[in-house]
Amino acid sequence: MNSPDTIRIGDLIRTRKVIVCCGAGGVGKTTTAAALSLAAARAGRRVLVLTIDPSKRLAETLGVSRNPPTPVAVPADRQAAAGISAPASLDAWMLDPKLVADESVRRLTKTPEDAQRVLGNRIYQQVSAMVAGMHEYTAMEALHRLVIEGRYDLVVLDTPPSRHALDFLEAPKRLAGLVEGRAIQAFLPKRDSLVARAASKVIEKILSAVFGEEFAQELVSFMMTFSGIFSALNVDVNTMRNFLSGPDVAFLLVTSPAPSTLAEAHFFQDKTKELGLPFKGFVLNRSRARNTSKRWPDGESLDQVPPEGLSGIAKLQALAHTELEAARRDLTLLTELQQRAGSNATAMAVPELPQGADDMVTLITVADALAAA
Amino acid sequence: MVRDVRRHRATGPGVTPLDALLKKRVVLITGKGGVGRSSVTAAAATVAQRRGVRVLVCEIGDDPADYSPLARHFGRERLPLAPQIITPGIQGALLLARSGQELFLKSVLRSGTLARAALSSDALRRLLSAGPSFKEMGVFFQLLTYLRARRDDGQLAYQLILIDMPATGHTLSLTGLPELLLRLVPRGPIAAALREGQSYLNDPALASAYVVAIAETLPVSECLELLDGLKKTAMPTGGVLMNRVPVDPFSASERAALEEVIARVNPLGGEGFLKPVLARREIARLRANTELPITLIPELPHAGLMGSIADALIKGEKVPMPQAQGRVA
Repeated sequence: MNSPDTIRIGDLIRTRKVIVCCGAGGVGKTTTAAALSLAAARAGRRVLVLTIDPSKRLAETLGVSRNPPTPVAVPADRQAAAGISAPASLDAWMLDPKLVADESVRRLTKTPEDAQRVLGNRIYQQVSAMVAGMHEYTAMEALHRLVIEGRYDLVVLDTPPSRHALDFLEAPKRLAGLVEGRAIQAFLPKRDSLVARAASKVIEKILSAVFGEEFAQELVSFMMTFSGIFSALNVDVNTMRNFLSGPDVAFLLVTSPAPSTLAEAHFFQDKTKELGLPFKGFVLNRSRARNTSKRWPDGESLDQVPPEGLSGIAKLQALAHTELEAARRDLTLLTELQQRAGSNATAMAVPELPQGADDMVTLITVADALAAA
Repeated sequence: MVRDVRRHRATGPGVTPLDALLKKRVVLITGKGGVGRSSVTAAAATVAQRRGVRVLVCEIGDDPADYSPLARHFGRERLPLAPQIITPGIQGALLLARSGQELFLKSVLRSGTLARAALSSDALRRLLSAGPSFKEMGVFFQLLTYLRARRDDGQLAYQLILIDMPATGHTLSLTGLPELLLRLVPRGPIAAALREGQSYLNDPALASAYVVAIAETLPVSECLELLDGLKKTAMPTGGVLMNRVPVDPFSASERAALEEVIARVNPLGGEGFLKPVLARREIARLRANTELPITLIPELPHAGLMGSIADALIKGEKVPMPQAQGRVA
């Protein structure tokens, strides 16, 4: 292990078993997760990238179908083209939350008949993918199982898109709050104490006033069927939390130079600390910092400009001025992120990629930058 | 669905998509993360205020302490829990699932004791925070109360409610909520509230969703997917607000003369040189795939951003994009 003052993304890629990429929507999180997994596979590891709701293009680049029931290998020719050779490998799994939820039901129920009763339930069918936190829960659940199975040296998780980077961690907690025995029991018919029976009578009244008598009963029977599963879930949520706090895991915040970046970074860092999770760094995407080394456009650097183009040079200089300012801002931002990261984490910048940059060549460029950082 | 404008006699020369927007009761501003949704929402609110429309800006919050990009545009850390003036002429409020659920319980459980019991039940609170669709239902009901709200003089409290919506998936789970739940709960107070909500949200004369996008490959693809999704949930769509469209300072002959040397030398300014070309290509692709009006909002320096977006929205078709192929409808 490294000493704490030399945390490097390149080392995380080579040593950790799980890297969780968090971040708000639209910051290039999925691309970063793909590049990290590519980098690890190129460094000789057996890698899986796990993602929910990715862009079609990324699936196309990796050559895998969307929403398969289990992880699939990136086609051999693409792996070879990306410089991945056995025993190293790259698999991808674009999760469908509904499929994973069904799978969890099958695994957590005692008999196939129990499973069928839940899967066939009208309420379950309509809303299984809409239970708050279900997307997040299914991703965590799949992650945990895959790591236990030991088929992979590294699993990179691209967390579901959300407004807040930490929704991913909070949502399963809400789910756990619901399934905690005491809460769910209140809705179920009681046989024990008089007080409990009276309380559950009141709740019954409330439920039928709100949902109508007919649906309230259906809801209660749905919950009864589910309660067994819920308690099994509860254990899992806690196991997963412990697992994610362990030394084999690294959390990265993927972010962009948007004005809200620093506030978000601050919030994220505090939150991971509060939850006891191993925060290891910031990845600043779309950084224009490297532009500072480009040449200034003038008569000297731009040779052989035809006369019609001369009037354009001043306009180009105006654009150059803006780009230089942006580059300087991004450099300052990176320094601030590095300071904020402190000695137990790091911050690195990934340059702005060309449009729709999910092709393999671009991904490899980013992968190499991450591995070298 | 797109014909809403006509009912309000808003079609015709000189009518911008913004005029149509300002005539609605409720407008959802949606789009992929990072495209500037909250700037556009804040700008639209500013325009509404300048036109004398009583406007309420909202965003959907889980936790009142959450970081709010929308509130930042009004110089605040966050939006208030209940409608309050956040800047002269503009009110703001969080759409908080929990308070919507409480309002709903209070309105349904006429007995005060029962309502108090319900609200103090830990079990019920947990159920409401994680149960299927309950969060969306709370948000939905809170919105409904704002739509219904009237002042003492009988006038609508908020003529226009502008909502800065969360990312794509969450937007669709809200717009798809009534249909989904009505299949499960066709009768009773929930159904009644859902139907009332539908009477606003699915009526193109009263409601509209606008998708904010930027003229790049992935955002345009996602914008098209989102328009498709909105259509499937019966949510009327008003148009695409194309944000941060790069202004092209170069003439065609300057471009031709500089193209080769810029590709070879890759100097500072080269990225800016290429951007308008790529943007035009993406706007043309969007144009080819939707008949909705596309409003172009030029890229602006960050200082004074919101006022400038407001100006661009007001001007509508006069957005300075001389070489744009995407017609400003």
